[in-house]
Amino acid sequence: MTPKTNILLIEDDKSICNFITASLESANYRVTCAQTGKEGLSLATSLCPDVYLLDLGLPDIDGMDVLTKLRTWTSNPVIVISARTKEQEKVTALDAGADDYITKPFGTSELMARIRTALRHSRPNTHARIYKAGDLVIDFEKRLITLEGSEVHLTQIEYQLLTLLAENSGRVLTYSYIMNAIWGPYVDNNNQILRVNMANIRRKIEKSPAQPKYVFTEIGIGYRMLESET
Amino acid sequence: MTQRFWKLPRYKQHLFSLLISLISMGLATGLAFMYYHVVPDNSANIALVYILALILVARYSVGYWYGVVCSVFAVICVNYLFTYPYFQINFTLTGYPITFLGMLAISLLTSTMTSHLSHQAMMIAEREKLLAEAEKEKMRANLLRAISHDLRTPLTGIIGNSSLYLENGAFLSEAEKIKIMTNIYDDSNWLLNMVENLLTVTRIKGDNLSVNTSEEPLEEVLAEALLKLQKRYPGTEVQTAIPEEFLLIPMDAILIEQVIINLLENAIVHSGTTKPIELIVTADSNAVSFTIKDYGVGIPKEHLADLFDGTSYTPSQTADARKGMGIGLSICKTILAAHHGTLIGRNHDSGAEFIFTLPRFGKS
Repeated sequence: MTPKTNILLIEDDKSICNFITASLESANYRVTCAQTGKEGLSLATSLCPDVYLLDLGLPDIDGMDVLTKLRTWTSNPVIVISARTKEQEKVTALDAGADDYITKPFGTSELMARIRTALRHSRPNTHARIYKAGDLVIDFEKRLITLEGSEVHLTQIEYQLLTLLAENSGRVLTYSYIMNAIWGPYVDNNNQILRVNMANIRRKIEKSPAQPKYVFTEIGIGYRMLESET
Repeated sequence: MTQRFWKLPRYKQHLFSLLISLISMGLATGLAFMYYHVVPDNSANIALVYILALILVARYSVGYWYGVVCSVFAVICVNYLFTYPYFQINFTLTGYPITFLGMLAISLLTSTMTSHLSHQAMMIAEREKLLAEAEKEKMRANLLRAISHDLRTPLTGIIGNSSLYLENGAFLSEAEKIKIMTNIYDDSNWLLNMVENLLTVTRIKGDNLSVNTSEEPLEEVLAEALLKLQKRYPGTEVQTAIPEEFLLIPMDAILIEQVIINLLENAIVHSGTTKPIELIVTADSNAVSFTIKDYGVGIPKEHLADLFDGTSYTPSQTADARKGMGIGLSICKTILAAHHGTLIGRNHDSGAEFIFTLPRFGKS
């Protein structure tokens, strides 16, 4: 029997704790609940969980502080749980090292998908040589992108953008992360150049830019690419 | 101008009155001197000049005292400067007490009348403010009533269904349990939708209805709205037609997304049909216009007039018809007003359509 994946849930609301614990346990994860930030931090050091689920609104310490403290010694994925209207909070958490976020309220299937993605990206040596989702295939080694079997021609920047998203498929990447990765750290804060390039990519790989199949926008936060099937 | 004057602090009002008095009296004296040099020995007309100045002082000063002091000053001036013997006070001239009393009376009367007038103006302004507040209060009460009605309905469903499950769980068949849970799930989702709608309104700031806008690609906002809608109503078909051009529109994307979701949801829930909904975006040099068109039963005629005031409950026409979307629509209207856009709803040949516009370059 393979050892179960350990998940630490730091969340103060009992009802939410209950349903997350129940659904994760039925999916064969081992879940530990912490009701406060301090308890969460001490459980983190003793359990060394594989994935953290962290609610940002905790009664004792700010969830952001918990995240920064965790990031000083562990690189295991942290998924932040946050309310809908607080985009800025999400962006701050993502830029401070959170791997992904999930918006309250969420369904269990959404949560499972986030955890699976986070686990997949946290394991080393699983770097895929090929991205494949639906009719879109990206061969990283041959630098070849095909849609329904025919080659798609992208500019240098567009290719870099798309492969960056594809390598992190399933995860949200913030505007500032992408800007840094593609244009370097000295680019100014205006992300219009990114928006324009994404629009061009969309016109090349999506049938209908208003109903995309591969690259999704999370307004105010960043972009997320459909998870690879490989 | 007078209204603003009455809002000034007390000492400023007095300063202003003093200035007016000095200027009026100075001007009057100057004018009188000029007149006197042209036509000497006509003190009646000189008195008239002073009377005019007195009326001005009485009109634009606070209280009576400026007027009284000025009238005394005016009488003395006329006596001292412009009547024989010059540069001497002499009240023994015939009729002089009458002139004095006359000028005093004029200034007092004018002062009383003008202060009465400004008092009335103040009262009217006050009443208008109260009326406006009452109107706002009424709108708020209406909205609250509509909200609590719309919140109570799904809550009743959730409480009823869950207590049914808790109390009679042992006697229920599996199918019945699933039905109960589905009801709870649907009602909670509807509640969530409602709360999100209400929360979006808190992004609009204060009475002047302003929003933080940033330039957003139109297609991304549309895409996210459609994605969220698909999650809530799987299998819904929306046909989109957007301009090929890459459009950056200044807006609060979360709010405009909410508008699109609300209007599409309306079309899904109230059209009474599963025919695909059309979402058409067109752009001209000044504005983009979004048309959401369904091919269903259309908007009932009696609701066309009060579509956006948040109070119209659409009565259930079909068994599974949801609660009224009155609040959703009034929220859309508010959001678009804050963006300096427009929203209209009307019927076309075979269904309903809602059209909203957003200015392309912010406030023009």
